[in-house]
Amino acid sequence: MNTLDAHTWLTEHGDYLFRVARRQLHSDELAEDAVQETLLAALSAQARYAGDASPRTWLTGILKHKIVDLIRRNVREVEIPRDSDGEEAIDLLFRQDGHWAEPLHPWGNPHAEAELGQLRRVLDECADRLKPVMAQVFSLREVAGMETEEICKELNITPTNCWVLLHRARLFMRQCLELNGFSKVGAA
Amino acid sequence: MKWMTTCREATELASRAMDERLPLSSRMALRLHLAICANCTRFNQQLQEMRRLFRAETAATDDAAGLAPDARQRIASELQKKLGS
Repeated sequence: MNTLDAHTWLTEHGDYLFRVARRQLHSDELAEDAVQETLLAALSAQARYAGDASPRTWLTGILKHKIVDLIRRNVREVEIPRDSDGEEAIDLLFRQDGHWAEPLHPWGNPHAEAELGQLRRVLDECADRLKPVMAQVFSLREVAGMETEEICKELNITPTNCWVLLHRARLFMRQCLELNGFSKVGAA
Repeated sequence: MKWMTTCREATELASRAMDERLPLSSRMALRLHLAICANCTRFNQQLQEMRRLFRAETAATDDAAGLAPDARQRIASELQKKLGS
């Protein structure tokens, strides 16, 4: 029965799990990893599957955790000097009086142009410039769509800290996307 | 409440509004600031643009996609390996 189940999961739910993962991870490769890890974990945990949820619901629950793991692992430690929490970098974005140091340019229509792989590449490149925990918070919130409360718990940080990290990550990501050709002016 | 919200403060409010409902006074402060500040209005729009871009909605066109045959094969053999062990 076990053998049958594991392969049936793959046959019946593999494509579904893959699509869910792909939508959140923006990568075929990472999504395949997520499906594999989900099914392997399901195999280990099947004794605990009581059968009150449908297999798909149960598997999707496991998948959610695997996606979070993959997002966390996908954040690389890069060796560029960064101040501890990005405060100094924020200071450069604003003048002393609290106004923007540089005007913001309007963006083109990134929807029309962005393809899956390209989006992942820009996201990775920009995330690499952030402090890892900042990149994780950003991806979990803005990419995976988790609630901030869940994210705080998952990363074991206080809500205030979580929110500060998220805000700074947004400021930097916005700027980075603009530098990567999202702005009409910058793309010229 | 202070007389005028700075851009720096307004971006914090705009960001926070992406995660939770702001208290009335903050909401008013943000709205007043956005009414007179093109840069922060743009920032606010781009926060939402970023979210649309990265979240599920944009990738919806790819929904026909499924697991590639080689990936399926690889996963099946991993499962088999685990079952055999």
